[in-house]
Amino acid sequence: MMLIKIQIIVGLLSMGLLSITFELIRKKKLREEYAILWLFTGIAVLVFSLWPEFFLSQFFVRMTGIFYLSAVVLIAFFFLLLIVFHFSVVISNLTEENKNLAQRYGLLELEFKELRKRSLPSETDTHPPPRSGGAGMTSF
Amino acid sequence: MVIIPAYNEEESVGKVVEKVHTLLPQVEVLVINDGSTDLTSEKARGYGATVLDLPFNLGIGGAMQTGYKFAYEKGHDVAIQVDADGQHDPGEIPKLLLALTEKQVDMVIGSRFLGNSEFKSSMGRRLGISVFSKVISTIAGQRITDPTSGFRAASRKAIQLFASDYPQDYPEPEAVVLLHQCRLRMGEVQVGMSERSSGLSSITKIKSVYYMVKVLLAIFVDCFKKPPFLRQEGE
Repeated sequence: MMLIKIQIIVGLLSMGLLSITFELIRKKKLREEYAILWLFTGIAVLVFSLWPEFFLSQFFVRMTGIFYLSAVVLIAFFFLLLIVFHFSVVISNLTEENKNLAQRYGLLELEFKELRKRSLPSETDTHPPPRSGGAGMTSF
Repeated sequence: MVIIPAYNEEESVGKVVEKVHTLLPQVEVLVINDGSTDLTSEKARGYGATVLDLPFNLGIGGAMQTGYKFAYEKGHDVAIQVDADGQHDPGEIPKLLLALTEKQVDMVIGSRFLGNSEFKSSMGRRLGISVFSKVISTIAGQRITDPTSGFRAASRKAIQLFASDYPQDYPEPEAVVLLHQCRLRMGEVQVGMSERSSGLSSITKIKSVYYMVKVLLAIFVDCFKKPPFLRQEGE
């Protein structure tokens, strides 16, 4: 029957997705916070392949107008959309943090160079140069 | 202090630094080298500027903000931003400073279009800037004739704000909106600007319409952003 074939294909796909996700988490190649949506996607699709009766019922079809296979595709698509959206948020955060890190790096490097320049002559000199850094820097 | 963000401006950055130094010898000049692949950093250092090298290109917004972070941490009371391409005349800096104290504002923009300045520019560019000007003026509730000008002086309060939050995409017009949201005051003074002495404008003719739409969109989005909380600095 048509339905059994679809059930098997979808079931295998979801189990494949779930096992890959688990394996990647186990190997620490995927962080849990990014994996959670993938796990949900796999579980949702698996549920559809295990209990197709509900999605075939007149009740469900009448309520939503969605047939079985369309429902699977739709749910999978919805989760993918969520995942992509989640990634956009994550990338935005990373960009901001990356920018802050680069700025901090530049500021610290400059500070370090000036400190080293100031301390170099003191190695040959008996009197170390007066320290003028810190809070009392010149205004403007 | 004077902040000069520079990305591949080896031709002109030295001249700008030198000019600032001769006109205002007591002022610290900080060049932000935004990951240049040419000799910008060495040239600027050679002319006696303090040079801050960023590890990679952050864009004008990120580079400018680095300068404000520096100014904030070093306790500077005034920061002036000048373009590295030589289109801003450092001789006009005292004018900006005077306006900052006289008008009691937090940022002064050096405007090409205020009063009877004779800035030569193409029709399209002038039209574009006038549209920006109208939009920004409406949002800010005051007349801003040249919102895209990068020749500005900022007070301590504005430095503090920009150090914590500075627009990244189109910083000049967006910074005006940000200041307005934080209820900081701004003003304008007329300055003369020359044609850029080297390098290309970051805006090419073909892309200018696309650029305008993007900036207007960014400004529109900015209007709905939550303004950052500006804590009071300990006296």
